[in-house]
Amino acid sequence: MSELAIRRGAAPALAVRGLDYSYPRASKPALVDVSLEIAPGEFVLLAGRSASGKSTLLKAACGLVPHFHGGEIEGEARVADLDALEAGPGELAAAVGYLAQDPETQVVSTTVAAEIELPLEMRGDAPTDRARAVEEVALALAIPHLLDRAVDTLSGGELQRVALAASLVTRPRLILLDEPTSQLDPVAGDELIWLLRRLNEEWGVAVLLAEHRLERCLAAADRVVAMEGGAVGFYGPPRDFLRWSNDSDAALTTPAARLFSLAGLESLPVGVRDARQTLRGTGVGHPPHIASRRVPHPCSSEPVLEAKNLWVELDRGEEMRDVLRGIDLEVRPGERIALMGRNGAGKSTLLRTAAGLLEAVAGKLSLDSIALLTQNPSDYLVRERVGDELPGGEGMAALRVVGLEHAIGADPRDLSGGERQRLALAIALAGRMEGEQLPAVVALDEPTRGMDRARKDDLVALIRGLAEDVDLLSHSERKATRPAAVVVATHDVEFASAFAERVVLLGEGVVIADGPMEEILSGGWYFATEVARVLDRPGVVTPEQGAAVLRGELE
Amino acid sequence: MRSPFAYKPQRGPLQDASPGAAVAYLGAIVVVAFLYLNPLVLLAAGAAATMAGILAGARAAVRSALKMALSLALLIAVVNALVTSRGETVVARLGEWPLFGRVDITLEAIVAGISYGLLAAATIVAFAVYSACVDPDRVLRALRPLAGRSALTATLVSRLVPVAAADAGRLRDAAALRGPAAAPVGKAPLARRLLAGSLDRAVDVAATLELRGYSLDAPRARNRRSHSRYDRRFYAVAALVLATAIAGKILGADDFQSYPTVAIGFGPATLAVTAIVTLSGLAPFRRAMKRRPLPSRRPEVARV
Repeated sequence: MSELAIRRGAAPALAVRGLDYSYPRASKPALVDVSLEIAPGEFVLLAGRSASGKSTLLKAACGLVPHFHGGEIEGEARVADLDALEAGPGELAAAVGYLAQDPETQVVSTTVAAEIELPLEMRGDAPTDRARAVEEVALALAIPHLLDRAVDTLSGGELQRVALAASLVTRPRLILLDEPTSQLDPVAGDELIWLLRRLNEEWGVAVLLAEHRLERCLAAADRVVAMEGGAVGFYGPPRDFLRWSNDSDAALTTPAARLFSLAGLESLPVGVRDARQTLRGTGVGHPPHIASRRVPHPCSSEPVLEAKNLWVELDRGEEMRDVLRGIDLEVRPGERIALMGRNGAGKSTLLRTAAGLLEAVAGKLSLDSIALLTQNPSDYLVRERVGDELPGGEGMAALRVVGLEHAIGADPRDLSGGERQRLALAIALAGRMEGEQLPAVVALDEPTRGMDRARKDDLVALIRGLAEDVDLLSHSERKATRPAAVVVATHDVEFASAFAERVVLLGEGVVIADGPMEEILSGGWYFATEVARVLDRPGVVTPEQGAAVLRGELE
Repeated sequence: MRSPFAYKPQRGPLQDASPGAAVAYLGAIVVVAFLYLNPLVLLAAGAAATMAGILAGARAAVRSALKMALSLALLIAVVNALVTSRGETVVARLGEWPLFGRVDITLEAIVAGISYGLLAAATIVAFAVYSACVDPDRVLRALRPLAGRSALTATLVSRLVPVAAADAGRLRDAAALRGPAAAPVGKAPLARRLLAGSLDRAVDVAATLELRGYSLDAPRARNRRSHSRYDRRFYAVAALVLATAIAGKILGADDFQSYPTVAIGFGPATLAVTAIVTLSGLAPFRRAMKRRPLPSRRPEVARV
């Protein structure tokens, strides 16, 4: 960030001093003695594990806390010289914009133009001023073609942009974003971050962005705030943050920083460009491409899922559209497959068709049995006791597979997010197992939405356990004769590199790449891990692989 | 999947008209349906609503509404025929039925049922056209200065309906994906779960409304596009239809009797009301743009 863009001397975009806050009836405070200051035009990244207080801090900055949620608050919070504890969200809306995680509840009008215009109308702006502001913000966010569309015909990414436009139309001095990329594919996620960077540089809007996938946005940030148990654990420049996270909480560090740390390089990079520059300084070049390691199918057994020329048609708002267009795919026992692609590429449709929720209009699909866990595990939980969800011996067997037999008497609402996800998986598995034998295919649709890295690591262990037939608790082998194939639709490239051995890349309903994980995730730009983008070596995608390469070359 | 009744932004006289004009026009058709029992006039009201929808480009809404309306009309006709034994022309004697007693199907009961069914059908089609063609944002904007709290509630509900529909779809999918040994999920637990989720969703939507400044007591700005060049047309047609309907009623155009024998009036007043109401369906008609023929371009001859 250039110093020019940060208007020093002006009132801070956000100034928080000694802020303590507890939600109504909460057993412990959500914010503890939080103090920080964001200068006008500054881009600040808000890091931290799940439930560390990131969202609450954002809500306090826009007035939803305490005005909307209630609770007890002490301390001081000022937004562009307005007292956020005195003024309500409506009054603060002129100075601060807020974008939450779920875009569906972020729009309240029927058409895009009306949605963007609403805050100005509420403020009493004249029609001509409103028309100009709507036009300008639509142009800035590249959505003028959406203005006449109905909001319920938009994709998640489009809806996110419309909600952002409605937050920005009043020209606020500060914009707060709560994991805005969690539902976006890598392309749309990167576009959103660069859009924020551009707004920050050209409009001088200060940005406070909460995000789990730090590798996406650390390079764009001027400073980082790391929350720990409701308090500020770290506040400083990105490079210092990496040093801090490396020592204090490795779950918050980026893959490129881990790569450098494992390779013994001192200066931890804040992004791909920084890492490459550092490597050039150490004399590490780009060796000629070597052939990647081909991962053979784990066994030569018959496929457990076979799609041949599969076509699926769906109603996409305005008209019927072919979402899958002649998919050919074979899945064999024990494979761990990441199904990737842009939003709308057909990943969820393929899984839903395999699970029988949708019907193909042409082609052939054969599979033995499948258990599918959709994006929201809470949708599976309808009773107030785990044992009531999964009665009998078969229910107990499913609970054992996911390592939750100890929680049989618990209320699902009292379980942690990861445990709820495992319980939902057990509900999908129950009765589809024969003794210890898992269904032929276990599929998960976008299971990492809103997860921090620690929870993702737990999920990786679960997936490996299912595919390798290992008991989660005892780590001993189960007695199944055939391991399950695990297919996971995901946007998270780093997560895919952690669990998958094969990646199937979909684009507009067709398979555009299918091969070993190391080959696919190192052979592109968007669908590539940060380590692959730093090193640009075929087959090198994880920090561990990259560090081994670097250590060899640095010696 | 999008509801065929959902508002679809597009250009057209009915869509461009101010909410007041559109409501007056479609409301006049509904008023006719409620004022008259003569099946001929009711058919005219239904035809007007159907034509209006088709001319306004809401074919999908009209098609779905007609399917729903005709099913309902048929149901009303059948139920009325079964429960009413008045009328002199018995077309079938069905003997003694439990609960119903002696059931005689009369021509008069069938015709009376058809008349009620047509009333319901015309109303359903008119509401479908309203739903698909009139921008709810503009209606709420017009309502806000008059009744702020009602507008807030209506905004919240109008957003929650599609959100709850999406949630219900997801819950149904999750219920279908439960393993055969998991406890089955009936409609009651699903509804409970949906209700609990809807409350959370309502809080989120309400928070968004707060952030958009809905609670501000700022001066309400004048609305852009509050009037359109089609407003006069729709108000005039609405006034004509209402005046005709009232005058016709006074002059006996609603000449219809179902019991003890069927008598449907086809007098000049009835025919006039029928014709005017039917023609009112042409109000959303828009003339096609005339393309002026381009002047023929002859290659210019270079003069030497």
